[in-house]
Amino acid sequence: MLKYLLKRSGIYLVMIFLTTSAGYFLAVSSLKPALLEQEKIPRPSPEQVTNSFRLLGLDPTKNPWERYVDWLGGVITRWDWGRSPNGAYVNAEFTDRVMVSTRLFIASIILTLVIGVALGVYSAARQYKFQDRAITSYSYLVHILPAPIAYFLVQLGAININEALGQRIFFVTGISTPGIDPGWPAFVDLVAHYAVPTFAMTVFGWAGYQIAQRQYLLDNVNADFVRTARAKGLTRNQAITRHALRVSFIPVAQSIAFTIPAIFTGGFFAEAIFAWPGVGLWSIQSIGMQDVNVATAMLAYGSVIFAVGAILADFATTIVDPRVRVQ
Amino acid sequence: MSTNIEQPTSQTPAERLRDVGLYAPGDAVLSVRDLNVRFNSENGVVHAVRGVDFDLMAGKTLGIVGESGSGKSVTSMAIMGLLPTTAEITGSVRFKGKELLGLSDKAMCRHRGSDIAMVFQDPLSSLTPVYTVGHQIIEALTVHNPAMSKQAKESRAVELLRMVGIPSPKDRIKAFPHEFSGGMRQRVMIAIAIANDPRVLIADEPTTALDVTIQAQVLEVLHTAQEETGAAVVMITHDLGVVAGMADDIMVMYAGKPVETGTVEDIYYAPRMPYTMGLLGAVPRVDASQKNSLVPIEGTPPNLALPVTGCSFAPRCPLASDACLAGEPELWAVSGSEGHQAACIKADSLATDVDVHRIFHAPPVPVSKFDGVPRQERNTVLELRDVKKHFPLLKGALFKRRIGTVKAVDGLSFDIREGECLSIVGESGCGKTTTLLEIMEFHPAQQGEVVIGGVSNKVATDAKTKQAMRKEMQMVFQDPTGALDPRFTVYEVLAEPLENLGMPRAAIKKRIMELMKLVGLQADHVNRFPNQFSGGQRQRIGIARALAVNPKLVVLDEPVSALDVSVQAGVINLLDQLRAELGLSYLMVAHDLSVVRHISDRVAVMYLGKIVETGDVDRVFDNPRHPYTRALLSAIPVPDPEVERTRERIILQGDLPTPLDAPKGCNFATRCPVFAALPEAKKEKCLTFEPPLTPEGNASEGDDQEFACFFPDGELDADMLVVHA
Repeated sequence: MLKYLLKRSGIYLVMIFLTTSAGYFLAVSSLKPALLEQEKIPRPSPEQVTNSFRLLGLDPTKNPWERYVDWLGGVITRWDWGRSPNGAYVNAEFTDRVMVSTRLFIASIILTLVIGVALGVYSAARQYKFQDRAITSYSYLVHILPAPIAYFLVQLGAININEALGQRIFFVTGISTPGIDPGWPAFVDLVAHYAVPTFAMTVFGWAGYQIAQRQYLLDNVNADFVRTARAKGLTRNQAITRHALRVSFIPVAQSIAFTIPAIFTGGFFAEAIFAWPGVGLWSIQSIGMQDVNVATAMLAYGSVIFAVGAILADFATTIVDPRVRVQ
Repeated sequence: MSTNIEQPTSQTPAERLRDVGLYAPGDAVLSVRDLNVRFNSENGVVHAVRGVDFDLMAGKTLGIVGESGSGKSVTSMAIMGLLPTTAEITGSVRFKGKELLGLSDKAMCRHRGSDIAMVFQDPLSSLTPVYTVGHQIIEALTVHNPAMSKQAKESRAVELLRMVGIPSPKDRIKAFPHEFSGGMRQRVMIAIAIANDPRVLIADEPTTALDVTIQAQVLEVLHTAQEETGAAVVMITHDLGVVAGMADDIMVMYAGKPVETGTVEDIYYAPRMPYTMGLLGAVPRVDASQKNSLVPIEGTPPNLALPVTGCSFAPRCPLASDACLAGEPELWAVSGSEGHQAACIKADSLATDVDVHRIFHAPPVPVSKFDGVPRQERNTVLELRDVKKHFPLLKGALFKRRIGTVKAVDGLSFDIREGECLSIVGESGCGKTTTLLEIMEFHPAQQGEVVIGGVSNKVATDAKTKQAMRKEMQMVFQDPTGALDPRFTVYEVLAEPLENLGMPRAAIKKRIMELMKLVGLQADHVNRFPNQFSGGQRQRIGIARALAVNPKLVVLDEPVSALDVSVQAGVINLLDQLRAELGLSYLMVAHDLSVVRHISDRVAVMYLGKIVETGDVDRVFDNPRHPYTRALLSAIPVPDPEVERTRERIILQGDLPTPLDAPKGCNFATRCPVFAALPEAKKEKCLTFEPPLTPEGNASEGDDQEFACFFPDGELDADMLVVHA
């Protein structure tokens, strides 16, 4: 198993290197931070811009290959992912951003999974009954609703509650109130900030799992081995929960394994709408800011997370499905 | 629910139920009365089971025989309470006097698996893939014996696995279903079914998905299971041979209704319902050289979504008269034999001296122009010389290493002369299909030489030679539905090969009309799509397509295995007739040895990529010399209760080994009943040398035979011989 993991990791390492390098060349040849500098007042001279960029390691006069070699040298020898055009260090900001995204998404992703799979099983067991139709119709509706609109609706709802009660229970944006006392007041403040985004992302997030779990379970409900289990003397529901459920969970487990690392990559809309400046927002902003190093670092990070997800998916499959044996 | 299905009986169901209930024997473990099952479908209400009555006595076996769609499986599922809740079930099913119909799922669970257990058809999908077989057996024990200790359950599971003949059960209990072969999985299914000593065991086509040798093993296990538990068995099958030796009573079903019931002797030796008679005449026999044509039953079973007004078999029955269409006949007692009932108004006039071949207008045996010509004087249409197909077995992700060779076909030589049929038989995995593929491949780079109509594959380097070869040889496939493009009309299907040859349009049209007539289809059906035909008709289209270009040789890959018995007979008769009329040669691959014996002149028995015995079909079947041929032939059940009960069977142990572990000497040594009984000194020879094909008999008289065994007259191992007294 260990040997297999090492082998897989080696393959993914090569893949990450290739995508990141390709991404760097694309970024360095298309993103021109010097143009943005021209909009500053007072407008700096081209020489000043070139000089300041040279100090930041973003020399616009070098060709892409030379810059790639410099950048790669920094990453490999000093684990230095470079600087932004405004002088900030990528390494320093990275940890903060990842922490913000993780805190924002972790609760909602776990809730989404649990609720989505549970509702999938519940609706499959009651196929075409009222409960199934209600749950599944809701999932399809949410599936076609764009995320920003859904989030705004939840924000509106929270504001209405605040107004109705005459006091501010929920914060619809931001991470925390500055200058709050530590201890109990800080915790209440955290919950008040946390509730709205988590609620929004959960309620509008479980649809995919619900639909998938329902579908896979229905595929197995009438399987021959469920009939065998019933012929042994298990009731229909026992046969479904003990036999069909585990088999139907195999493909869902794979998709879950891909989701867990995604907690750390964040999401642009949620971060922007709820004003939690995390990784997702940073990635998009870096392109707007013509920031070569941040854009590349985010691409590399995304590739690593994908590789971790793929290895986790393999793991998950081996755990739930004995037919898969790693050699 | 409103149904306009007429009740064919004069009594109301309630009255009938009361009356027959009075006569139900007291000691019956299972009594079924007036069982009706209706399903709602898009086309209306399908009345799938229409009034089934039977009593199952303790320790007895009832065989339910019928073709697909006759309602036999639905009957068993209704008894088990496993039909979907949308099915409407009426009547009565009583287990030891207790009514089971109408019980809730939970209440029914107390009976399922403990009083009544079931074995299903497809062992590959009937076990949960993610649990060990031990877990699945123990689960059956836990449900009904919650107080049983863990150790007791485990030792019982091991005991059950041993009982059904799984080697080293202590270790295998931890294995997952995918680590077992199909036959082994069916044994596990039987172990699960008998775990709680059921009083009734229902087996729904338990061996249909298995090879004949494995079928013999599984039937043997079922027999043991019945002896061990004393359970009454309901054996559901379409194969009249399978139940002949096992059953005490038989119920023949047609269109959802029992049409004849009686003891096994009544049904096999004195059938009174034309359908039963036809069914018995439609199956070829493996134990007799048959010079009659088979009995074809024309037409198809009725659509059960429509109300039945007369005898449901009347449209296909050659004896039907107007009286048959006036009201559906009930099961009436047959005069002169107690307990024998038939649903035919003419039952009493159909006494034993009736010739079924004459009733059903079985065609005369066709005579070919080659019949009088000695084999040596006929031209060779296909010849194989030392053809080999070895697949490398590779390992490794990036750099593949060869870790072994699968010898799928290993040095095959045979020839087919004009007007004759050679059949290749053997278990699945023995290389039959690979042989056909190698012949169709026809490429110079192949190992060995394939000569078709005088053209060798070694010279077939250009497309033109290959096309000439394709004109000589055509193929008919196993699954007639899959082999026809659903978006092509029959005309287009048949025109395609002719257009390929560049035939003018007018000539194509003429040829297609000829072909339709040739295979017994109506010429005005050419514009229909394949889904508008029945299975048998589709296979006829497949045959017409193969014959379109006037080939000399037709390769038949399991041509009738996807068809029902009654339809199969018609297709076999057609193949026989075409061979005689057109002077065709056939190369057939089939697993049904009865069909092979009926249609072939010569046979080649394959085992692990090699021919182990070949020769004239009657000679090989009547006097098999190779132990494998003997075992294969003894595995075929014969539709004759007397013969079945007394004959000696060779039950091979284990499955076909993978061609990868092919032993060094004789391939068959690992399973050979002769080898097992040999003294050690002689075993050495089998293990070191490969036996060559040794000729016997007189080739010029057409009764030659070759076999590859050193000790063909050796004693058979007593453990592998079974006789049911």
